[in-house]
Amino acid sequence: MSDVPISPSVRQVEDRQRFALGLAVATAVAIGATVGTLALDQTEPPQDRQILVRARQYAYDPPVIRANRGDRLFLKLVALDVVHGFFLEGYDLDVEITPQQNKFKVRHPSRHDDWAEQEEVIVVVDKPGKFRFRCSHTCGSLHPFMSGELIVEPNHVLHAGLGAGGGLFLGSVVIAWRRAHRASRVRV
Amino acid sequence: MQVAYESDQTAAPAPATARRAGGRNGVDLCAAIPGLRSVLKWRPLQFWLSWVNLVFFAAFMAAGLFGSPVGSHNIMIVFVWILWWFLLITLLVPFLSRIWCTMCPLPSFGEWLQRLRFIGVWVGNGPAKQRTRFFGLSRAWPKALQNIWLQNVGFLGLAVFSALLVTRPIVSTAVLGGMIVLALGLSLVYRQRAFCMYLCPVSGFLGLYSMTATVAIRVKDRELCRGHKEKECLLGCAKGYGCPWFQYVGTMERNNYCGMCLECFKTCPYDNVTLYLRPFCSETTLKGVDEAFKAFIMVALALVYSITLLGPWGVVKDWANASESGNWAGFAIYAGSVVGLCLVLFPSLHLGAAALGRRLAAVHAVKLKAVFVGFAYAWVPLGLLAWVAFSVPLVMVNGAYILLVLSDPMGRGWDLLGTATVQWHPIFPEWIPLVQVPLLLVGLFLALSRSLRVSQRLFGELSAAVPAVIPIWGLATVVTAVFMVFFVG
Repeated sequence: MSDVPISPSVRQVEDRQRFALGLAVATAVAIGATVGTLALDQTEPPQDRQILVRARQYAYDPPVIRANRGDRLFLKLVALDVVHGFFLEGYDLDVEITPQQNKFKVRHPSRHDDWAEQEEVIVVVDKPGKFRFRCSHTCGSLHPFMSGELIVEPNHVLHAGLGAGGGLFLGSVVIAWRRAHRASRVRV
Repeated sequence: MQVAYESDQTAAPAPATARRAGGRNGVDLCAAIPGLRSVLKWRPLQFWLSWVNLVFFAAFMAAGLFGSPVGSHNIMIVFVWILWWFLLITLLVPFLSRIWCTMCPLPSFGEWLQRLRFIGVWVGNGPAKQRTRFFGLSRAWPKALQNIWLQNVGFLGLAVFSALLVTRPIVSTAVLGGMIVLALGLSLVYRQRAFCMYLCPVSGFLGLYSMTATVAIRVKDRELCRGHKEKECLLGCAKGYGCPWFQYVGTMERNNYCGMCLECFKTCPYDNVTLYLRPFCSETTLKGVDEAFKAFIMVALALVYSITLLGPWGVVKDWANASESGNWAGFAIYAGSVVGLCLVLFPSLHLGAAALGRRLAAVHAVKLKAVFVGFAYAWVPLGLLAWVAFSVPLVMVNGAYILLVLSDPMGRGWDLLGTATVQWHPIFPEWIPLVQVPLLLVGLFLALSRSLRVSQRLFGELSAAVPAVIPIWGLATVVTAVFMVFFVG
């Protein structure tokens, strides 16, 4: 198959069509993201939550902590088998938990401070979204995959993402349907 | 899979972007970059690339054998399953196609043994002096196995044991060492790169995702090849070997089975072979149910790994990690679920969507098998981007281990570069969801747009192609949403 030269006018039309298509798709995604955020975001008044986190090879119990923005989490942490860590992403918190001890060591990595022994750690969850807590002390073969989840509602990223995906699908259906309809009209 | 001697896109015009870029294949990089052709034609290139790789590989194997059994403190695990995997899936395959196969150390011993040379070309004497020779039986691979089913099964088998494979240095060493031995053994019996072509579990997904790559080796002028009788690119000559991957570059339209060994650059007497730069996801044709299943397996495994390795559920980790937890009944449930998801549930959903689409299109001349295989392409960009979204956190979270093992590769308490005491700390972990969601949306967009292209090729008129593709679009959107929930929800 040899290359077919394309005239500038055809190129301009193709470019214009592609730009219009891209704009339409981007609009559908943006509308979807907005609708998703508005429809799925729910806010509830802040409250205090007492949570006991048990760490064992290679998981935490509870595996998922759900909270609302503004909640205060009163965390007690225990290790059931070996020394584990509890590094909470996004909240600058690292904890070292030793088995059979009521107290655990706490520090804030960004401040490079020393470990402080505590019986409870309080976290005010002021940032919405999903944050993983991970073991920060090598505890065995699956150590790099030992994690749990803190989900702080409203999870804008998830809701916007789901909405954007839905918008992309619906927008694509509408655009493709119109193109098909136009093509069949031209043929007639 | 059929060995791609025929054009696979004869019915479809080249994409406008490709045409505009300077030809049906894209931009000729050998013409655009001075000296590139000379580099690609330089006979020792592949040897040196694979040799350097082999040196590192041998060091990793030694660390796997004699180093710490703790994966995060052993360079074998950290470099192979975190750094190499990340580079492979996020950069090498999408941008450079199967460049990994150019330098892969696994088949090197076998290839050197077949050729009885590291670099040069072994040509015959007398009447056969223009043809290359090989040590070993040089048998043809069994016809019934000339597909990627063995690669599918091999990859799925490894995936079931992934919790063991990617965390135990000794297991990684045994598996990779076993692959070298297998490749060596097969090279003595079968022609050229039979191991890479039909058995290597990595090769299977590299082939699938190389279809998306922004580079491709193709000929500049097909007419020249058609009129050229000697076919050195297939049969070999004094300058190089015939394609070790059994491909005829003169009509090659897909990257799937081009191992980028660059022999065709050396053998072509007309310099008709070149490297093209082209838009992402230019190839949209899957051939055969085996390739379709590879696409299903890869998407399903991205989901499985997201649950098993990145997820918070200890029960699933215990099941997958049965050699330590001792929960073999749980492992049986896990293995059965993984295989069932990959080989039954996901293909069934796809089949349902394809059948519904065919019914909506009301074009009964198009066979259901063609729709099933064709639409499986939707899972190629979506699967690749899902794997990228899975792999990005691996490096952002475990990047500190890379620094650690650079100084202490065996986990023996060394501090060669002064980085052995680096405190583990994830790199901007709160940004991970903001990276993953756009990646998944890009994957979905490419799945939708490219599957419409496939649908047009199958059904012709848009009035039939659009309704036909909508069920697959719906399924792709649902799968994307499921990934989002696991990643950021």
